[in-house]
Amino acid sequence: MKSTIRTEHLSRTFGRTCAVGSVNLVVPEGAIYALVGANGAGKTTLIKLLMNIFRPTAGNAQVLGIDSQRLAGRAFERIGYVSENQELPEGMTAGGMMDYFRAFYPTWDHTLEKELVRQFDLPLGRKLKHLSRGMKMKASFASSLAYRPALIMLDEPFSGLDPLVRDELIECLLDRAPETTIFLSSHDLAEIESFASHVGFLEQGNLLFSEEMSVLSERFREVTITLPNSATLPADMPATWLQPQAADSVLRFVLNSYKQHTSESEIAELFPAARDITYDPMSLRSIFLAIAKSNRSGAPSAGNQVSSQEKKA
Amino acid sequence: MKQILHIFVKDVRRFWPEISLSVAITAAFARYYPYQWTGADHMHAVMGNHLLVPYTAQFLGGIIIYLVPVSWWLFISRVVHAERLVGDRQFWLTRPYEWKNLLAAKLLFLLAFLYLPIFAAHCVLLAEAGFYPFYYLQGLLYNLFLLTVIIVLPIFALATVTSNFARMTLTLLVAIVGMLCLGSLSSRLLPTHPVVAPPSNSAVGSYSILLCAGIAAVLMQYSLRKVWLARLLVFGTPALFIIAGPVLARLSNDQALIDRNYPTLAGQDAAPVQLSVNPFSPGEREFVTDMLHNGEIVAHIPLKGTGVADGYAEIPNDVRIAFEAPDGYQWVSPWEPSSTPSFLPGGGSGDSAITMPRAIYDRLKGKPLTVHLTLAVTQAKVKGITQIPLPSRDFSVPDFGVCSPVSGWMTPIEDATGIVCRSALRQPPLTYIGVVWSNTSCSTPHAEPDPGVQGDGWAGSLDRAPAQFGITSVWQAAFRLSNEYKDERNGTPRYLCPGSPVTFTQYGLFRRTQVSLTIQGFQLAAVREGSGFNY
Repeated sequence: MKSTIRTEHLSRTFGRTCAVGSVNLVVPEGAIYALVGANGAGKTTLIKLLMNIFRPTAGNAQVLGIDSQRLAGRAFERIGYVSENQELPEGMTAGGMMDYFRAFYPTWDHTLEKELVRQFDLPLGRKLKHLSRGMKMKASFASSLAYRPALIMLDEPFSGLDPLVRDELIECLLDRAPETTIFLSSHDLAEIESFASHVGFLEQGNLLFSEEMSVLSERFREVTITLPNSATLPADMPATWLQPQAADSVLRFVLNSYKQHTSESEIAELFPAARDITYDPMSLRSIFLAIAKSNRSGAPSAGNQVSSQEKKA
Repeated sequence: MKQILHIFVKDVRRFWPEISLSVAITAAFARYYPYQWTGADHMHAVMGNHLLVPYTAQFLGGIIIYLVPVSWWLFISRVVHAERLVGDRQFWLTRPYEWKNLLAAKLLFLLAFLYLPIFAAHCVLLAEAGFYPFYYLQGLLYNLFLLTVIIVLPIFALATVTSNFARMTLTLLVAIVGMLCLGSLSSRLLPTHPVVAPPSNSAVGSYSILLCAGIAAVLMQYSLRKVWLARLLVFGTPALFIIAGPVLARLSNDQALIDRNYPTLAGQDAAPVQLSVNPFSPGEREFVTDMLHNGEIVAHIPLKGTGVADGYAEIPNDVRIAFEAPDGYQWVSPWEPSSTPSFLPGGGSGDSAITMPRAIYDRLKGKPLTVHLTLAVTQAKVKGITQIPLPSRDFSVPDFGVCSPVSGWMTPIEDATGIVCRSALRQPPLTYIGVVWSNTSCSTPHAEPDPGVQGDGWAGSLDRAPAQFGITSVWQAAFRLSNEYKDERNGTPRYLCPGSPVTFTQYGLFRRTQVSLTIQGFQLAAVREGSGFNY
């Protein structure tokens, strides 16, 4: 499959602070890629590196087949970028902004523009500086989608928006999904879980994993083992067990490399006296928290999975 | 081109208030600045009827010339910051802007609303002053170039490395304070005596460096947005000038500079002026010595210059004096700008002064010294003489400018007490002006014919660049005629009567050379009582 974004050891430091550290990332064409991570994880910096707003300290990135450091001018005719922090030409009206941007894009679709304006109920005659945050985001979305970009880059697009506006924007994005690649960053897992096809997890500038959502969901299981006596954690616990806990006769951990037959038989062998062993699928939020907590406590996490997924991609 | 016009139109729509303000200030400048020209015909025309109007207008004209660059400051800041180059949140960074088009759109904006209005204002001012504007097209364009290098480009470059008007203004203030401190520090650490080199050398070099640095900073910002590198260029270049000036002056060999620009005469060539010590009547005049506040001593040597060939003038630019004591001790001053007046064919006199440390003075005073004085002299040759009977209104002097007789407060215009002249785009060519003063009022019937008193003065310079840097295109030639007062203590003036001859003798550069004088048995005078002034 062709990739829309590909990075190799992409790094960026600000002074002594490493904002993005040697990120290897592949976003396949047509994917809805969600880059998740806590605040300050480096998501915005990574997106700005991809958009040539920042220049990398090391490594490189290809965006739509162009070296990110050469991304300028006409290359942006195929990219729609929306960020929660982006400044807009505030002195213009929403309609004025659409009129102004229209001339920059040969592929500008007037019908789509009208549809977006109607869908978002944009007040075209009002100045952008007088619009609410939600309305500004809608205006930004409309001006970035009306030319049917091949890549839509969204940096925390739904942050601080009310659920209604957020749903409107997501619905609009999903309408565009078949014809474009969407790359978005978010720290709100619930909002992206429903529609992202791929997910990457950035922690302190390092990409801990990057893979398809279905594979990720399949890979993680919350394992609960009920023992006849009081449970104790094994001394030589595998690295794939995250957040192990023992309470009374119950042992719990998150397994980050679940394979139905092999994993279940291996654990059954380890606990032959177990009265019950359950393998519960996990939400993205639970996976995210398990990895984040494991990573912070210094325990091995899912980082080793990135390379295997890269090879796969 | 389409994108350039698109951005340009956007800026015009957005910044019409700023455009209106800037153009209105420029128009007001063209309208009111001519009221600065004291003595011009139109001033007399309005003064008769409404005194308040011309003086209010004169005040406005005086203020508004400063408002023009201030309006440019605001104007350039606003238009550059519309697509600011500092920061990572600007909307245009991720839109299909071509940096060359963006820069071109901004330049087009400046061309349309800064350069064209000021060019038009310059043409209006020239026409108002009595000059035909298109005759001075080269000078007008050259002045626009100078305005670009000295005002527009630095403002533009500063705007590219700052994020908004407030920051830009604050940055400028901090930069000015920093430069002043740096200048003060470097002049304290490396005090130097400035040497007057012919103007072409240093000015062209400085303009070129400023121009290159400014252009490089702007291009770097638009093409790469390397903010810190561009900032280094914008602030580093003037800082380098401030530091490098005294350092280079300290390192450079003044003598070599003078020898290069003022070659010594070949053996068979006669000196263009014969220098001698100006004899003085006992009690009338003595060698004087002053002490500066910093403890340095200024020694004056009165000079007389004779033997200047007809049609020439000798203008002393720099001086160096060597003192040799009988015990063999020698002190040679550095080259310093000379204050000696020009020498003409009829002869001339004036002091030559040199600054020396107090310790040297103390070592040399009271001893019969051998003095070797060398003047770096510019020899100017008469190019043309125009004699005009003084009219009572504006009159044109070919290749010089337009002049007007001026009279004092509530004095009839027939009783002119001086002449003021205006020239196009620069000070006029070096000109010697001779007049004949009348001791009595011109409007009073004379019982006996007034023989008159000669008065003279110098105006202009030998530099012949097509224009000098100026917000205005019309310059008032600064000169003062000698013998203007009958009684200087009471301020009783002499008058220039209509019809009295006014002679304008224009000079051009002939050559530059050095002239020397050796004085035997010279004694430094005691420090003059009550001195202690600072130059």
